[in-house]
Amino acid sequence: MTDTAADVVLNCEGMQCPLPVVKTAQAIKNLELGQLLELLATDPGVEPDMTAWSSRTGNTIEEIRKDGDVFHVLIRKGS
Amino acid sequence: MAVGAWSGDGEGKVLYVQTHGVDDPGRCATPFFLAASAAAMECEVAIYFTMYGPQLLQRAVVDKIGPKGERGQPLSYFIKQATDLGVRLYVCQPSLDLNDLLIEDLIDGVEMIGGASFNELALTADSVISF
Repeated sequence: MTDTAADVVLNCEGMQCPLPVVKTAQAIKNLELGQLLELLATDPGVEPDMTAWSSRTGNTIEEIRKDGDVFHVLIRKGS
Repeated sequence: MAVGAWSGDGEGKVLYVQTHGVDDPGRCATPFFLAASAAAMECEVAIYFTMYGPQLLQRAVVDKIGPKGERGQPLSYFIKQATDLGVRLYVCQPSLDLNDLLIEDLIDGVEMIGGASFNELALTADSVISF
């Protein structure tokens, strides 16, 4: 496994705020410390939202990349 | 956890206040969106329904109105999104009286508090946001 291969991919394309945040919060609970979640989302507010969410919850955004309309957000589970 | 008190388990405490009722559906769902977001951020979250707010919690209403009317999800969908994340819903007796409602008319899970416990929640919250 490379550093950037996600353990879990969560597809929230087409979902509006607050669903990407809510579903990410639920999905990350099932990961082990240090595992990577890749969120796919089209909500235009996802970058500031995930940044705020991660700083509050102790998880780390490793990368946010936009591919067409889709944001790929790589989140490493913290404590 | 005690009714009308924060447990202190979250990363922060946010209290929303909803005063709008069924006459203004565009204002019905936003407090639930924001509450769900705050709960996802591991905050402890409550929404207090006062003035016309308790109208939104009626069993007979939650599936019949939504912020965008027929074009979107019903209010019940947004309520569930919030309560599934642990958001607590509070009303007080005078607000029920104002709207000629009984607690039995409301969806399950709504808890009754009074003015003193509302103020205590507000005084001990990190943020109070009123609509």
